[in-house]
Amino acid sequence: MPDTHFYRYDGYDRTLVSERVDQFRDQVRRRLAGELTEEQFKPLRLHNGLYLQLHAYMLRIAIPYGTLSSRQLRKLADISRKYDRGYGHFTTRQNLQLNWIKLEDAPDALAALAEVDMHAMQTSGNCIRNVTADHYAGAAIDEIEDPRIWAEIVRQWSTLHPEFTFLPRKFKIAITGSPNDRVAVRVHDIGLRLWRNGQGEVGFEVIVGGGLGRTPMIGKTLREFLPKDELLAYLEATLRVYNRYGRRDNLYKARIKILVHEVGVEKMREEVEAEYAATRDGALKLPAATIEAIARQFAPPVLSPRPAVSGRVVAQRLDDPDFALWLKSNVAPHRVPGYAIVTASLKPAGAPPGDASAAQMDGVADIAEAYSQAELRVSHEQNLIFPHVAVEDLPQVYRSLAALGFAEANVGKITDIIACPGLDYCALANARSIPVAQRISNHFASIARQHDIGDLKIKISGCINACGHHHVGHIGILGVDKNGVELYQISLGGDVDFGRTAIGSILGPAVTADKVVEAVDAIVTTYLDARRDGERFVDTYRRIGAQPFKERVYAAV
Amino acid sequence: MAKNLSGDLQVASANRLVDGMVVWLDEAGQWTDRLEHAAVARDKRGAEFLLERARVEAFSVVDPFLVAVAEDEDGTIEPLSLREKIRASGLTFDAIAADAVRYA
Repeated sequence: MPDTHFYRYDGYDRTLVSERVDQFRDQVRRRLAGELTEEQFKPLRLHNGLYLQLHAYMLRIAIPYGTLSSRQLRKLADISRKYDRGYGHFTTRQNLQLNWIKLEDAPDALAALAEVDMHAMQTSGNCIRNVTADHYAGAAIDEIEDPRIWAEIVRQWSTLHPEFTFLPRKFKIAITGSPNDRVAVRVHDIGLRLWRNGQGEVGFEVIVGGGLGRTPMIGKTLREFLPKDELLAYLEATLRVYNRYGRRDNLYKARIKILVHEVGVEKMREEVEAEYAATRDGALKLPAATIEAIARQFAPPVLSPRPAVSGRVVAQRLDDPDFALWLKSNVAPHRVPGYAIVTASLKPAGAPPGDASAAQMDGVADIAEAYSQAELRVSHEQNLIFPHVAVEDLPQVYRSLAALGFAEANVGKITDIIACPGLDYCALANARSIPVAQRISNHFASIARQHDIGDLKIKISGCINACGHHHVGHIGILGVDKNGVELYQISLGGDVDFGRTAIGSILGPAVTADKVVEAVDAIVTTYLDARRDGERFVDTYRRIGAQPFKERVYAAV
Repeated sequence: MAKNLSGDLQVASANRLVDGMVVWLDEAGQWTDRLEHAAVARDKRGAEFLLERARVEAFSVVDPFLVAVAEDEDGTIEPLSLREKIRASGLTFDAIAADAVRYA
């Protein structure tokens, strides 16, 4: 099995994670012995990613920048089998949630994670959360630089950062190294976009104050071009300004987006730049050798030259229409000719979006070892990615995925739904998300029809916290509770594409659960009737506006 | 069958400390994972007493609270809110089994 082509823990990392496991084991022991109250214990367990949900504890495991080795995925499968109910849920922050962990088992689960250099720190609490990055990183044909090098540098800087452990609220950072934004940089507390300026230098556009939740906002550019080696000092200055001025008086106004909105981006920039001027040449100015040492760990695998066109693939594409559709939707071009990026859809018809059984995780790990350099990515759209697949191996990968139930040719299509766990699991939710996603998925199960409809993203949240990103869905669905009845508010026109990021507009009155499918069907029919050649759903919506959709939906429900 | 939907009836619930599972307080002051064994408070004073007792017995559970329930004529109780129905009955869809590789 090849070595990994991403960061490997050193002794410092291992000691830190191991000591944290021991510390948490003792905290759990004291809680179970009654030496700690729940009030005392709750922040300790949350600092280790352990939530208490409706039915059980939930462990949220960090998958830094969504990158996994096959060995790590096998361990996740083992942990889910041994300490949970044998399945897990991949999340919109590229993490994995196990929904049935016992408190008494949690330290052992964390110890097992530590064996493969993983943990659950900073997956909860008012700290800098797991940094997300492009799931095509290191393989994308449009990539300027691998964003994971910087995500790892940010990870090392932000892990247990004493100044930023008790921020006004949680803080989410996303990094893309490509012009095609696959991480939604404009709806993060800080979004970082690598780009090349007129002088040929690569640096970051620093975007601040985006976010979803109760008050969705699109981030604003704080710094047009930041030299790469200045990243940490600039981030520290930004976090310091937020920590100083962010509102702690109102939970709902505590995110940095509210601060930026209230003071304006110009004032925010002035404050950050003043702080930065005082600290920019300090310890956080990264030496080139440090950056290079981390970059070396992300050196791409040596991929032997392969034919860009495979006779086997061409033949199967002609013989098998399902395979042909899968090639169109689930396979993306690779930076190296003769290779491809493959997305395993965790959205089989009628399945809970993003869920995988232990057997499926093992199966995906097998495929990664056989065909993709033993590497995997988790996308924020809750799918798994094989980043380095030889084109001539695509038929075998397709067959192997089909055997797992993960070969649905629906990536980017109407059934590639993002959904939060909703009221079936979550203590914060007001309404269910997964059953709604399942009904929509079953209704639009025909792959041929999905491809006819084209790119259409449905995102479902079970409450206003918007973990299902409904604000930026082409069709967004928000579950609300009205006098004990689940209702679903539909919005249209959301988007996360770079340069077109938009918050969706509410279509009209919320509909009952049993009418959601009819409403979505009416929206799709309106689009199909109105679209011009090659026009995506969201483009048709922008051209014709909400009214035709509204008339059709409310006539149907 | 007629149900008491007034919301006057309440039971005390919590999550079990050791594993987070849903439990209710029974007449003997023990935490049970069977809703049908839960002690039912039938008025405001009874509910206050039940919650107080739940807090006293909270060593092995987390954050006890009251849950409004309805009661059939045959004495079967059921939570009024969807959230509590889900807590009592479990997921409203079939989760995938550990060894499953395909969805039905």
